[in-house]
Amino acid sequence: MSPPNWQRRLLIALGSAVFVGGVGSVAQAADVTLLNVSYDPTRELYVDFNKAFAEYWKKKTGDTVNIRQSHGGSGRQARSVIDGLAADVVTLALAADVDAIATNGKLLPLNWEERLPEHSAPYTSTIVFLVRKGNPKNIKDWDDLVKPGISVITPNPKTSGGARWNYLAGWAWALKQPGGNEASAKEYVRKLFKNVPVLDTGARGSTTTFVQRGIGDVALSWENEAWLAIKELGPDKVEIVIPSVSILAEPSVAVVDKVVLRRGTRTVAEEYLKYLYTPEGQEIAARNYYRPRNAEVAAKHQELFPKLELVTIKDFGGWAKAQKEHFGDGGVFDQIYSQ
Amino acid sequence: MNIRRAAALASSAALLPFSGAALAQNAGSPANNEQSADLRREVEEQKQRLAVLERKLELQEESAKAAAASTPKVTASATRFQLASNNGENFVRLRGTLHADNRVYGGDSVAESADTFLLRRVRPTIEGTFGGIYDFRFAPDFGGGRSVIIDAYVAARFNPGATLTVGKFKPPVGLERLQGGADLRFIERGLPTSLVPNRDIGAQLSGEFGGGTFAYQLGYFNGVTDGGSSEGLASPDVEVDTKGDYAARVFFQPFINSENFNLRGLGFGVGSTWLDIDGSAANTALAAYRSPGQQSVFSYRANTATGGAPNNATFADGQRLRLAPQFYYSRGSFGVLGEYTQVKQDVSRVVGGTTSSDTLTHSAWQAQFSYFLTGEDEAFRGFTPGSTFQPGRPGTGAFELVARIHELDIDDDTFAGGANSFANPLTAVSKATAYGVGLNWYPWNTVKLSINYEQTEFEGGAATGDRADEKALLSRFAVNF
Repeated sequence: MSPPNWQRRLLIALGSAVFVGGVGSVAQAADVTLLNVSYDPTRELYVDFNKAFAEYWKKKTGDTVNIRQSHGGSGRQARSVIDGLAADVVTLALAADVDAIATNGKLLPLNWEERLPEHSAPYTSTIVFLVRKGNPKNIKDWDDLVKPGISVITPNPKTSGGARWNYLAGWAWALKQPGGNEASAKEYVRKLFKNVPVLDTGARGSTTTFVQRGIGDVALSWENEAWLAIKELGPDKVEIVIPSVSILAEPSVAVVDKVVLRRGTRTVAEEYLKYLYTPEGQEIAARNYYRPRNAEVAAKHQELFPKLELVTIKDFGGWAKAQKEHFGDGGVFDQIYSQ
Repeated sequence: MNIRRAAALASSAALLPFSGAALAQNAGSPANNEQSADLRREVEEQKQRLAVLERKLELQEESAKAAAASTPKVTASATRFQLASNNGENFVRLRGTLHADNRVYGGDSVAESADTFLLRRVRPTIEGTFGGIYDFRFAPDFGGGRSVIIDAYVAARFNPGATLTVGKFKPPVGLERLQGGADLRFIERGLPTSLVPNRDIGAQLSGEFGGGTFAYQLGYFNGVTDGGSSEGLASPDVEVDTKGDYAARVFFQPFINSENFNLRGLGFGVGSTWLDIDGSAANTALAAYRSPGQQSVFSYRANTATGGAPNNATFADGQRLRLAPQFYYSRGSFGVLGEYTQVKQDVSRVVGGTTSSDTLTHSAWQAQFSYFLTGEDEAFRGFTPGSTFQPGRPGTGAFELVARIHELDIDDDTFAGGANSFANPLTAVSKATAYGVGLNWYPWNTVKLSINYEQTEFEGGAATGDRADEKALLSRFAVNF
């Protein structure tokens, strides 16, 4: 049995109306929006990069991509993503924060580092000292930071990726001193943080504390952030001091699988991160004072990035170990800062 | 603000002018150059301390602001009880419907014993959303001495044009049926609702375009009888056969976003269902219909076998097609709702080994009018009283007058054939025409008191002549939140 003709036509008409509406809805979805959740000092980098990528993507596909940025302390940003902030991509200060999103949030696979070259760290930086013009306290190396009366500005390692790099760089220097060992390194960072009058949540906050509020004699800073401060304020206000030893800071990037799957943005999100590795992307990173991975681009900007002895996170046994030992609950930082 | 820090800040600030004055006094005195340098150092140190304290306060405030941004929101207002994430994308809401009714009948149509108080709806409800996309609703009903689940579904709002809903909910057909129990203008829905599904289990794709100017629903359900719900099937909430009920509805509100005040409240559309169903004398898959006073006034012939195989019952035997054109319109305090519902049903009856079959077409319609005496705006869904009533305080709440006319017309072929007819003309009416008026008082956003008077004229349905008019006085004390 089947419905009479007029009734069948009615049902077909209803179905057709819906189908046409549905197809129309799909066909107009050519504008894409991405959310890049990043850490504090990358604001300027990604303003430049997003503009370049949008132009590249428009040229390549004809689609318009709008990229929204979110910045804050790297650890805090990772927490926000775990708690539901719908980041298509994360570009955080260190691998440990992306690991947290993978392990605690289960939003991307544990092997995320293997999905892009250079274990998903398309540019690097290091930790330097930013001092007042003329270096009135004559700060030259890490040992100067623990002298009485020296006020050191650094953010909180619990919330800031940059602060964790700062801490580890100081630890590495202490280990390299004659007779240096775990105990002496621990004592060094204890003294160092005793000289810290205020802990900001992120690197940009620390720069504000040092530069705009005029607090402290020295700021432990991302190299790119230090250059940016000089660019903003002029070389007559602050200057950079390169310590004898520092650390290779490797900010990590990753697509957040569960978000892109839900939003249908995987392709553009992946291409967005891959574009960071292109000569154009590397050039933008270098212009914003990040050390590019690309040798040719690095050579072009070598005057910005002096050579110095750099330890790496591998010297600490990798981020998983370093995070747990130094920054986890009850870790070394908790021990020395609560003393 | 931390009191100790504030005190320290204040004392540091107080020290600075004195230090500055001392410095000025000593300036120009060569003998005191060293002392001046010490004072300058002290001033600098005080300035640093002050700056550090200020910065710490600043960070404390930033931290408090950030914490506030991630703190869940608890809402307990006059209309809503809700726990939500700060961004509003995740929430769970407690809702409830309690309808306590009274029914009184006049005339000879209904026995005096039918006068009663009853709990018509008792529905504690939990609903919510996850991720701003995934909705759910769970609503049991304990009204009328039963315990059933009336709504239990999840819905994914992928975009405004595509929402997938799966579970038990209202199939998209009758307009007044789709109106929530809290928004009904009359205590009981009109006669057209008798012919459309109430609640069924299935899946539906729905959406709207143009900011609501066009909406659609497409669904596939287990299939229920006219006016019925799946919990009322022979096996509650279980598919009767292997064939489901296709449902579709389109609705237009062409002026909903326009500046045209006169037409903004106009909406019209059509809903339809179709299924092919094979009932039996034991499980007829056919409905009985009720009067506006909720008395049974029409049913098909039932099983007469006193043992052995069921016999003589009329049962569904083929297609069931429903069609329901509908509209509503509101302008200011005035509102009107109109709908026409038709159901074409293939039926059969086996009497003495002879099968008789036919396609019966029953129809119903209604025109319902409402008007707020207190000036509130009429709307299909939801409204807010202009004032609330609390003894000793100004305000009366909202008063609304309602009136309607509605009719149910049973296909004449239902009664053809004398003793072989599909329904007994001596007990089942062939037509019911009802006139109703009522007054609603909304003393509070969530509280409603209603009184309706409904008089219904019948054709047939009695041993001689027509069933006596039904005169029903219905009243309700309702809480809906």
